[in-house]
Amino acid sequence: MAPKLPGLVKGLGVTLRTMMKPAVTVQYTGPHGKEREDPPARARGVIALKEENCTVCMLCARQCPDWCIYIEGHKDKAPPRREGGKPRSIQYLDRFDIDYGLCMYCGICVEVCPFDALFWSPEFEYSEPRIADLLHDKTRLGEWMEGVPEPQALEVGALAKKGGKK
Amino acid sequence: MAVNVTDRQRSAYIAAQAADARVNVELEAEGMTLNIGPQHPATHGTLRIVVRLDGEQVLWAEPVAGYMHRGYEKLTEVRTYPQITTLVNRIDWLGSFCNEVPFILAAEKLMDVEAPPRAQWIRCILFELGRIANLILFLGDMGVQLGALTPVFFAFRDREHVLNLIESATGGRFHPNFDRIGGLKEDFPKGWIDETKGVLKKVVGFCDEIETLLMGNEIFERRTRGIGVIPPHVAMEYGLSGANARASGIDFDLRRDEASPLPWDKCDFKVWTHPDGDSFARYWVRLQEVRESAKIVRQLLEGIPSGAIQAKVPRIIKVPAGEAWVHTENPLGEMGYYVVSQGGLGPFRCKIRTPSFSNVSITPWLLRGVFVPDVITILASLYFILGDIDR
Repeated sequence: MAPKLPGLVKGLGVTLRTMMKPAVTVQYTGPHGKEREDPPARARGVIALKEENCTVCMLCARQCPDWCIYIEGHKDKAPPRREGGKPRSIQYLDRFDIDYGLCMYCGICVEVCPFDALFWSPEFEYSEPRIADLLHDKTRLGEWMEGVPEPQALEVGALAKKGGKK
Repeated sequence: MAVNVTDRQRSAYIAAQAADARVNVELEAEGMTLNIGPQHPATHGTLRIVVRLDGEQVLWAEPVAGYMHRGYEKLTEVRTYPQITTLVNRIDWLGSFCNEVPFILAAEKLMDVEAPPRAQWIRCILFELGRIANLILFLGDMGVQLGALTPVFFAFRDREHVLNLIESATGGRFHPNFDRIGGLKEDFPKGWIDETKGVLKKVVGFCDEIETLLMGNEIFERRTRGIGVIPPHVAMEYGLSGANARASGIDFDLRRDEASPLPWDKCDFKVWTHPDGDSFARYWVRLQEVRESAKIVRQLLEGIPSGAIQAKVPRIIKVPAGEAWVHTENPLGEMGYYVVSQGGLGPFRCKIRTPSFSNVSITPWLLRGVFVPDVITILASLYFILGDIDR
């Protein structure tokens, strides 16, 4: 039977042992340059817009809980698909803004989009000194498409998605 | 030079003097009023507690809630069901996923749909991980309230592993918004289960470490043993739930006592109680709970069934008229939703029963007669989240 150590000494022993271990934190910015931990592929960092897929259906703007998506579009004639056919009329996207000062990062817009025009990107470095600059327009949202990861493989036992790559 | 004083001025002066005298007498007789909060480092947010002191002793205490009221019960009436899960995430922000589950279960009960078994198991796993993330922070934070800084750093270090797991599965560290009516948003990514098994080892290691750090410590024991004792009948009267009730010897755990679609009944775990009812007992019960949660997650990971994670539900969710009440054992205690639907896109009324609100209601009874330094310990050991009080 070991003699009963006072609790303080026992506690300090734990502290000492941990002191010898390397630090678990990462030096994000500072004299040693820039290190960063990449968030997982599913992380909801920023919403990217694939402009050519958007049909200005306004579903995302309507479903957004805090109405931070602003969409404007107009209808116009487009050349016919087949030669000699009638000119089609399609919707053109004029404005697609997301106000990240309001966004709650719930992901409802990405989920409801029926034409796969919105994606989550794990990118997170877009803080701004002025809150008005958090309003990203459609070119800025289009640039985020670079960071969108490929669809991930799922855990064993999961049902494969319909039409999705395995 | 003589000053002309009217009768009116003279009587006003006399009245002012009398009022001053009255205030002085009051101060002497009933002590000093002290506001703890609304901005105070020892309360986890904006809870204000007004205490009346006689020297170092508390004569009377009253919690003032509402500094962070966000009106979620009212907001749910103007939001659709999928939008509400993202709101209720923010009620108890340390164990967010646990807030979604009872609401979704209530909606599923009204719609009469049931999520497939795999979805229920994943829900249960994430629920318990949320509990671990929540309670680990308490285990470290209790040390800070007593002046020990090391435990909180250990707690933040090991909570990060759990939060990383939740993030890689759901996409959100704090606000998963992962639960859907009739299932879940997505399945786990590849390799998640193995990763989780590794993290559970770290969680259990953290429990052992914090036990050596704090449990045998003389300062910790003397500042918590016998302080803030809640007898079982008082705990019952004030509607305490969760670890606060179990620390008073009330054997009450909804995971075990209530039939739930979540597979808690398929796991083998022990509900710990403590007969003392003091601050130490509340700490000890929560420490054991983290271990039990780790045990539950390990068992669930072993037996997770394969298959679909989403039942068939219409694309636009309309919940049929009716009323449903679902409550679960959340990290802080019993949390429940009473959803009244009139067949629309959103609920007609939603009553949210949060554990912290009831747990904090005992403070006027509990703080009477204690000393000022113990106020902080007792509040810390009751463990409330401000968003959970005010919602």
